[in-house]
Amino acid sequence: MRPSGSLLLVAVSLSLAIAAPARTRPHYGGTLRVAIGEAPASLDPAESERGGREMLPSLSRLVFDTLVTVDARGQAQPGLSPSWQTDPGYQRWQFSIRRGVAFHDGTAVSSDAVAASLRTANPDWKVFAAGEAVIIECNAPTPDLPAVLALARYGIAKRTGGKVVGSGPFAIGRWDPGKKLALSARDDYWGGRAFLDSIEIELGKSFREQMIALDLGKADLVEIAPDQARHAVLEGRRVESAPPSEWMGLVFSRDIQSLEDGKLREALALCIDRESMNNVLLQGGGEPSGTLLPGWMSGYAFLFPTAIDLQRARQARDAVRQVSPWTLGYDASDPLARVIAERIALNARDAGLAMQTTATAAADIRLVRMPLPSLDAWVALSELARSLGLPQPKFDGDPLQQSANPSTAYAAESALLQSQRLVPLLHLRTAVALGANVMGWREDPDGSWRLQDVWLETGKP
Amino acid sequence: MRYAVYNLSIHPPINLRTNLRINLRVNLRIPGMLSSFSSRFFSSLLFALLFLVEASAQNWAGAEGLLAGKIASATGPKTMALEVLNRSSLNAALSDDIRRNLLTQLAATGIRFLTAEQAAVSVRVTLSEDLRSYVWVAEIRQGANAPSVVMVSLPRSAVRAVEPAPAAVMELREVALWSQAERILDVAFIEGSPARMLVLDPNSVTLYRMQESRWLVEQALAITHSRPWPRDLRGRLLWRTDGDNSHLFDAWLPGVYCRGSGSAALAMTCSESADPWPIGADLFSQTTSFAFSRNFFSGTLSPGVGTQTTAPAFYSAAAVPREHSSWWLLAAVDGKVHLLDGVTDQVMEKLKWGSDIASLRSGCGSGWQVLATGAGAGRSDKVQAFESIGREPVAASIPLEVGGAVTALWTGSGGTSVVAVVHNWETGEYEAFRLTLTCGR
Repeated sequence: MRPSGSLLLVAVSLSLAIAAPARTRPHYGGTLRVAIGEAPASLDPAESERGGREMLPSLSRLVFDTLVTVDARGQAQPGLSPSWQTDPGYQRWQFSIRRGVAFHDGTAVSSDAVAASLRTANPDWKVFAAGEAVIIECNAPTPDLPAVLALARYGIAKRTGGKVVGSGPFAIGRWDPGKKLALSARDDYWGGRAFLDSIEIELGKSFREQMIALDLGKADLVEIAPDQARHAVLEGRRVESAPPSEWMGLVFSRDIQSLEDGKLREALALCIDRESMNNVLLQGGGEPSGTLLPGWMSGYAFLFPTAIDLQRARQARDAVRQVSPWTLGYDASDPLARVIAERIALNARDAGLAMQTTATAAADIRLVRMPLPSLDAWVALSELARSLGLPQPKFDGDPLQQSANPSTAYAAESALLQSQRLVPLLHLRTAVALGANVMGWREDPDGSWRLQDVWLETGKP
Repeated sequence: MRYAVYNLSIHPPINLRTNLRINLRVNLRIPGMLSSFSSRFFSSLLFALLFLVEASAQNWAGAEGLLAGKIASATGPKTMALEVLNRSSLNAALSDDIRRNLLTQLAATGIRFLTAEQAAVSVRVTLSEDLRSYVWVAEIRQGANAPSVVMVSLPRSAVRAVEPAPAAVMELREVALWSQAERILDVAFIEGSPARMLVLDPNSVTLYRMQESRWLVEQALAITHSRPWPRDLRGRLLWRTDGDNSHLFDAWLPGVYCRGSGSAALAMTCSESADPWPIGADLFSQTTSFAFSRNFFSGTLSPGVGTQTTAPAFYSAAAVPREHSSWWLLAAVDGKVHLLDGVTDQVMEKLKWGSDIASLRSGCGSGWQVLATGAGAGRSDKVQAFESIGREPVAASIPLEVGGAVTALWTGSGGTSVVAVVHNWETGEYEAFRLTLTCGR
């Protein structure tokens, strides 16, 4: 499928807007002012909503270190743990703990503290301290455990008296749940002091409020809705965009009930016009998708068709005598979700399917948006399946091949899609608008931010 | 328990991209520029590179053979229509090569090729890629059956197209030295047979020995430090050409000084230190202190430039040798270039340089030039040579795109080359290059 002219324009515009390398070395100092839409009620990484937007992991990583990090190529890198070992069965792992690291309250990040934190994050694991290391025993072979531990919910936190303390590059200065978060840089951070002195984050702001704050000079960094990115570029704003990574799709609340049910689901998947949805409703802010993992990550997404086939959809529909109407639920607080849901209902009617949209949670089908949880393909697939209420992908071969070989992810994803519990629609592009003074901007391919590497041109040395 | 996933690993000396680039760009016959040691070294390096290019070609063939084998296993020796689509970042020439090799490999299994209408099997091979690898996918259609899918993957290396450089007064050339995932801070050579190389990174000084055209790790000396490194870490490594076995090299990192010694085996001692760093390599006895929790020099100069012993805080400095003294150009933290002439501090308003500059003794023109970083196309920085005519530096070479962000630019021992370290955005690796200038014809 060739990109249309308008798509190409957006792609070119956005690629031109991709962060150029710093022409000078980073400067130290200054306060970065951020406005975002998310309004988390808690900063505890173990309580982070797994279906939340990508901002939460980005925020969490500023305050809470993880034992392992995942780089932009999806490979595990040392975090609080400089090295690790596993038994041949990949069930028992030992992670050494970096020496000399302290929580923001000054207490040491000990193996006991790490074990306690991980036990809270995952009660299914058996976690205990062994000298200066932590042992994790899993119920099943987990060759990707290092990449799993890089997920934000495994951020290492010390929990005392209802407060959480981390060991990350920034300490919490002020926290008004759901409203405001102020962070200050730690001079003694083991990974090197951040360039910024502080970050002030206004939470729960609509896209419109964010853009006004940027225009008035009250914010240096705001989010842009996928359908607004092109407009923002044309307006001459400084827009940075990541590859399409946020999954948007339909999830059926129940497994297939009958052969007829399967036929109707097939008809629905075939009748959706993803291309025009992306070009018109999203203004090229995404990519039609037939898979869970985006194509740039898996390398095989093109094997799953995304084009509308109304003729086959009607044939599948006509194979069923009686059709009960479906309800399609969407997030009422997401204006994009509403228009997409309405378009899907329209497409469904074209194929002879009855569908009613609703903003209530109880529905036959839900329209879901899920950020890409990890840059490790197998972990991402597992997390998406878990969050969507689908069975975990299975792999029966050599555990080491689980992540190393794209054909294993292909087989697992094929099996998930064949269950007909979900209909992939699009992968959405995440974008931000930046003030002219924001330098060193880095965004991973999954859309997560690396604010610890950002610096301000006006900052003092 | 067996050791698993992460540990310091030894990387192959140079990746495919680098090999190809070297093969295309480097003219090793640089009259008057290289010592006999250097000539031997670069001859060895060329041999190594050619060997590696060959090895890489064999790897491609391996993947083609593997995919051909999988396709043949699925189809048997039938008639086939083969279509190859390229959805990856491979260029058309490489894609064509792969297609040709695939046809050859399939033909060797007894498969004959016909048009889609005549063939028993239709195969579409898509050259794709994921985050880490090239992914080659074959969709095999036989009769009315649902297509079957086989795929192979192989590590991805970026191949950067190299445009021929137009003629210029001087030509800036790059020779790849080393690449690794860990940030490279500086690289130094040790003359002798075999050739040796020291690589400074945040954790160690590693000694490599050239053996059978490959760099082999001889020794890794750990750097001890108690304070965390700053985020934009910098370091300097200098081989002491005048040293005996008790003092072979020096390494400076923020707040840490390391001294290397030994003969058969190297030893290194590191200590917390606020000692100033040398600027301008071993040719100018100018030193300045480094702000240990930041990424710049404080501006206090010793012995100073003429009467000037203080300057604005700066990221890097380059000497401009004069007849009886040297002026200094500083890439200051204020984003401007300052010229210290011994009396005045002149801001060079017209210069739009990056924050890394270094002196280079080419023997061309006035004999010395300044290399400076700047913004290149897309995500690549560029390095350009400048010649000081009067007080104003003017461009002396066309800019050299370096394929990433320059993270270090240091004058090498003797001043005839500059070590540049580039963070390659595509591969994520740090790549060290040796930059030299050749005179125009």
